[in-house]
Amino acid sequence: MNNPVTSIKLVLLGEVAVGKSSIVLRFVSNDFAENKEPTIGAAFLTQRVNINEHTIKFEIWDTAGQERFASLAPMYYRNAQAALVVYDVTKPQSFIKARHWVKELHEQASKDIIIALVGNKIDMLDEDPTERKVAREEGEKLAQEENLLFFETSAKTGANVNEVFLKIGENVPLKQAADGSNNGSGLNVRRDNGWIWQTRLIQPRKPLTVAAESLVVLITKVHISFPERFRTEYGGVAAWAVNLCKTVSWNQP
Amino acid sequence: MKSWKISGSPHKGQAAGGATGGIAARSSSADGNFDAMSKQQAAAISGPRKQHSALQGYSPLRYMPPSRSASNDSNALLKQSRRSSHSNNRPTGGANAGHSASTTSFTTDGSGKYFQDLDEDWSAVIDDYNMPIPVYLNGGSAGTADSLSRASTHSYPQLPNLTGTGSGSRGTPGPAVVPETRTPTEIAQERDVQELNSMMARITKFNALLSSKHILNVKELRQLSWNGIPKPNRPKVWKLLIGYLPANTKRHESFLQRKRKEYRDGITHTFDEQNHQRDIPTWHQIEIDLPRTNPSIPLYQFKSVQHSLQKILYLWAIRHPASGYVQGINDLVTPFYQIFLTEYLPASQIDEVANRDPAMYMSEEQTVQLEADTFWCLTKLLEQITDNYIHGQPGILKQVKNLSQLVKRIDADLYDHFTNEHVEFIQFAFRWMNCLLMREFEMDVVIRMWDTYLAETSQDSSVGGATTGASAGADLSAPTTPAQRTVSTFQTPPSKIRTEATVGASPSSPLSVRSFSATTAVTKTTASGAGSDDASGTRQSSSLNEFHVFVCAAFLIKWSDQLCGMDFQEIITFLQNPPTKDWRESDIEMLLSEAYIWQSLYKDATSHWL
Repeated sequence: MNNPVTSIKLVLLGEVAVGKSSIVLRFVSNDFAENKEPTIGAAFLTQRVNINEHTIKFEIWDTAGQERFASLAPMYYRNAQAALVVYDVTKPQSFIKARHWVKELHEQASKDIIIALVGNKIDMLDEDPTERKVAREEGEKLAQEENLLFFETSAKTGANVNEVFLKIGENVPLKQAADGSNNGSGLNVRRDNGWIWQTRLIQPRKPLTVAAESLVVLITKVHISFPERFRTEYGGVAAWAVNLCKTVSWNQP
Repeated sequence: MKSWKISGSPHKGQAAGGATGGIAARSSSADGNFDAMSKQQAAAISGPRKQHSALQGYSPLRYMPPSRSASNDSNALLKQSRRSSHSNNRPTGGANAGHSASTTSFTTDGSGKYFQDLDEDWSAVIDDYNMPIPVYLNGGSAGTADSLSRASTHSYPQLPNLTGTGSGSRGTPGPAVVPETRTPTEIAQERDVQELNSMMARITKFNALLSSKHILNVKELRQLSWNGIPKPNRPKVWKLLIGYLPANTKRHESFLQRKRKEYRDGITHTFDEQNHQRDIPTWHQIEIDLPRTNPSIPLYQFKSVQHSLQKILYLWAIRHPASGYVQGINDLVTPFYQIFLTEYLPASQIDEVANRDPAMYMSEEQTVQLEADTFWCLTKLLEQITDNYIHGQPGILKQVKNLSQLVKRIDADLYDHFTNEHVEFIQFAFRWMNCLLMREFEMDVVIRMWDTYLAETSQDSSVGGATTGASAGADLSAPTTPAQRTVSTFQTPPSKIRTEATVGASPSSPLSVRSFSATTAVTKTTASGAGSDDASGTRQSSSLNEFHVFVCAAFLIKWSDQLCGMDFQEIITFLQNPPTKDWRESDIEMLLSEAYIWQSLYKDATSHWL
């Protein structure tokens, strides 16, 4: 039997010309183009990765960086499970912009979104270390404060690029059926710390009864087992389940 | 009446179409008359060119007697699935084989019965049976759109016959029916000669128009330009069409001098560090975007070019603070720059413009002239689409919405499929609007497209110019109810064609009228609409955004069959990289023709959708 496949919707945000599209190009095609046309609107790409006998399919929306296009961004991060906030380690302005994006994501995106802060273009430091304008510690500090994953990458050399996505793949919680684009329901399995979580993918618009109930039971179990990790790592599932209880009218047996 | 045998076949189909409930139900799903003019029909109308190439030895003037075809079972053929008929009728590049197939199958209406039908049902509405009116008139009955469109594939190749003989024997189609005696090779040769002749005739025509000593006939220039502008004339014609150069040729010199001085002063002032605080972020933004503008064209990698474009874009940006520099404008400036650059090359080297460094052959003075012309024309272009680039980009959002509404009506299947797959139009169409489809095509195709765009949509600034139409005014001047509009819409195209039949005869008169190719006829048809007067005598020019939406719709629907078999990811991926690498001018011309046809059908309706 094939590996189970989980889709992760991921969005890239960040100042113009920090290398968002180049990071995606490196991850998806293992390629680099010196002069890539500026992205207009957003570009969509996909890539599959195997993690822990599990296939993760990244559905990536690579957004345009220019301020004028920023009003489109919510459309792309609204349903995203993960976000890469990218800045250029040689451009302090881009780090300020990254802070803004992190803030906006925390306020506007789904509560359980996994955010990775990515400082790109570290290859430029090899030639001239004084090019660095954003210290690694600055990035780490922001990541710690805001509970983000943190990486420094080079889309040009490929350094650390795949690691960003792999880490995200490991950290994204159970598949959230509510924003799945999969049609119909299916069984989704995830192995984590020896536990096997099972949940049924459910079409959000269909009435939920037994499945929803059992899911809530499952969540409760998780909550009891890992109270401290619950908020961060499994919070999304919990939030989703709670939402479910509120919005879906289902009859108690 | 013979020529009506073919055009009449839809009626037969109509009955059959009604019998097969599935087809009827599907095409009646949307509202009203407009829907009946389905994508197939529009495709069929603009289709003859492809058919022509597919059917070796096919002459548009040749009458194919119904008895020639073997099958009588037309009903069975009409019951073919709608999908498959789509692919046959759609004028995509690869569909030639399908075309010939469908053509053969639908000449099968061998029975004379259908003349009766014709008389009974159609005589009342056909006021000029020379024109393929049934396609339009019967479009009103939704259930028949399918069968009609198939038949129209046939009726339309007759068009050259009609336009070609327009000068004399329009009333009697009979003489046009000539036995074909030439071999395919002869026909091919003859066609080449014709194409060459027609090209030369076009150049002569352009030269004649442009060499006018007094006031240029911009209206006629627009008509001509809709179908493409010869390379040597392009720089000047673009400047005229976009309303930069005045129509009065006597003023050209002084005008250009003044505008170039204005530009020079602007640059001097802007880059004078003492008097002007430079907008560093904008300057920097343009600077990083230029090396990645048209990265595949060598011309844009030259420092001299980047420097010129940077000045142009920066000056434009600071003079238009409401929008400022927005990515995509860097794309829009390049066709102007590249075309105006050809003015400074010897005619024999025009094709080399994309590979040569201008610094090698241009003086400093010439560089400033080039920059000035480019700047002013860019300004003129962006004037028309300001809303696309101001905060929130309302112009683009509106266009995307219009596009989706248009597709909903023209191709409900595709629209529904997008809905099911959760594809939102803005996900792929935003870039189409922001860059005027420039990212979707190679530069030569874009340039050809702009010929039509400028001819179709720009405003003249000329005093005493020939055109009176204003894009905004066109809508306001004729407020009509939807019902009235329907009527006029369906009847207007034939009358336009008729007008052109006489008008159009003059440029082509050196050619043998009889051997007019279908291609010529199609482009003529479309040009007639773009250029010629409508009933009231006012030119109906459209706004750039408006026409562009129709082009986008035609472009999207071109891939409808493929897209309907794709899921979300495949759709988005496909639309981000549409297979247009091999597109040639003829492909874009086909697209523009389709867009034009749809515009003539839906134009005034769009305002009701919002």
